[in-house]
Amino acid sequence: MDYLLNNLNSILKRTYEHLYIVSISLIISMILGIIIGILISRDKKIASITLKMISILFTIPSLSLFGILISILSPFKLGIGKFPAIIALIIYTLLPITRNTYTAIISIDKGIIESAKGMGMNWGEIIRKIIFPLSIPLLMAGIRNGFVLGIGVGSISFLIGAGGLGYYIFEGIERSNNNMIFTGVITISFLSVFINYSLYFIERSLTPKGVRK
Amino acid sequence: MIEFINLSKKFKEKYAVKNLNLTFNDGEISVLIGPSGCGKTTTLKMINRLIEPTEGNIKINNKSIFDFDEISLRRSIGYVIQEIGLFPHYTIYKNISIVPELLKWEKGKIDKRVNELMDLINLPRTYLNRCPKELSGGEKQRIGVARALASDPEILLMDEPFGAIDPINRKSLQDFFVELQKALKKTVIFVTHDILEAIKIGDRIGIMKDGEMIQFDKPQEILKRPKNKFVEELLGVNRNILRLTLNKVLDFVKKDFKIINKDEVKEIKNFNDSLYIIKNENNYDGFILKKDFEKGRDCIREIVFINENENFLDTIILLLSKGEKVAVIKCIERGIMGYVEINDLIRAFEKEEYELSN
Repeated sequence: MDYLLNNLNSILKRTYEHLYIVSISLIISMILGIIIGILISRDKKIASITLKMISILFTIPSLSLFGILISILSPFKLGIGKFPAIIALIIYTLLPITRNTYTAIISIDKGIIESAKGMGMNWGEIIRKIIFPLSIPLLMAGIRNGFVLGIGVGSISFLIGAGGLGYYIFEGIERSNNNMIFTGVITISFLSVFINYSLYFIERSLTPKGVRK
Repeated sequence: MIEFINLSKKFKEKYAVKNLNLTFNDGEISVLIGPSGCGKTTTLKMINRLIEPTEGNIKINNKSIFDFDEISLRRSIGYVIQEIGLFPHYTIYKNISIVPELLKWEKGKIDKRVNELMDLINLPRTYLNRCPKELSGGEKQRIGVARALASDPEILLMDEPFGAIDPINRKSLQDFFVELQKALKKTVIFVTHDILEAIKIGDRIGIMKDGEMIQFDKPQEILKRPKNKFVEELLGVNRNILRLTLNKVLDFVKKDFKIINKDEVKEIKNFNDSLYIIKNENNYDGFILKKDFEKGRDCIREIVFINENENFLDTIILLLSKGEKVAVIKCIERGIMGYVEINDLIRAFEKEEYELSN
């Protein structure tokens, strides 16, 4: 506890660093994931292939992914630091977001879309007025999943020089300093829980009354 | 007026709809019926271009649907489907006002129209702030109809609109729709697989099979003269009984009746009218038939009331089940309109049957 209080400043700095990496990658991953999700929802075959490919990326262990990224990116002098970390996090968080976007869209009642079309809504209006509001619960759940996942994987990205809260865990292990390890674990867990709940409340307030459970 | 000219739709070399040439009259309900896969829904969806025809043309008031922009064509045609398709995240108000919103009506006009529609479909205005999930299936489908009528389109396309609703509610929705149509006189194309529904609401019925129109005619004609074995089978063994549902009792009403007060009964000496209805303050106690009275029996009988739109079949069943021979027609607005006798109904039907067989 003493360690925690004495190093509050650097903990906050590293928390900020951690959140920075995760948020940037999440924003990019959200944009990509939602666009991919919408595009693949129009064709079942393409959807299944795309989702399979993203799942394969998802199953690569994080440490090996960092290794792969280092070898790919180092010719461009981008092998270590925040850049490969963000790329890796995008790859990891893409699956829950894309999959949930896709599931949200295809699970909307066919009759609703058909009515909308039959009443003369164009594709843009259908997305904006019908599909988007109805997908919010699942979409937000995907983003929530991605964020929490990102915070976890983000701690490993310390190993490639991206900074963040992983520092306390890995340095703690190195130095056999239990206080440091403890600090890392506590802050990361707290961050996950906090983000998870905040996003949950945002999700609830964005969900239209008529589709709330 | 909607015209089909050599209209066909092919899905991968196979005809789903084959060379239809038809005219749907204004202000009529035209029902398309047939087994699943006969092309009835495809036909319907070609009218608002949810499905593009492969060959031929459709003209609405002499203008080809291809001369319309697809989106504005759909906005000018009401569309109701089986799944109802109310938007769960919108209130009833917003659901009904979708097309007017798309057409950019001003707020006051939309408000007025939505309220008007709620009165028309007989649902309280307090429903407007509710969500679709708070309504029953039948209520939702009424809202679906209101939504389709929102911009007052001339044409209404309905794809098995009452198909997913339980039989009791379905019957009342059909009655509701028939009443509504009397007032609105829309040009309705209605797809169903329920022959009873088709006969009940259709001004014209089109029977389809394998993408072709087998017979397109008034329900009476189809029931009297089915074109081939397939139509006969579709109509079922009860074909003749179904015809009874098309004949209205109002055509056989007799008006030689008199309403008298209870205390006047004993004073009757000479019967001028054949039927006396006995009134007791605001209720009707029973009736006396002239022929019964002459036989000198104690002859006040219980009245079987029917409404003015009742058909032969329902009236005959009701009378048989009550063991009576006379039904009194009572209209909500106009009171007692007359009476019908079961024998007249049966005789009229027999006469029709005889004419058909000759």
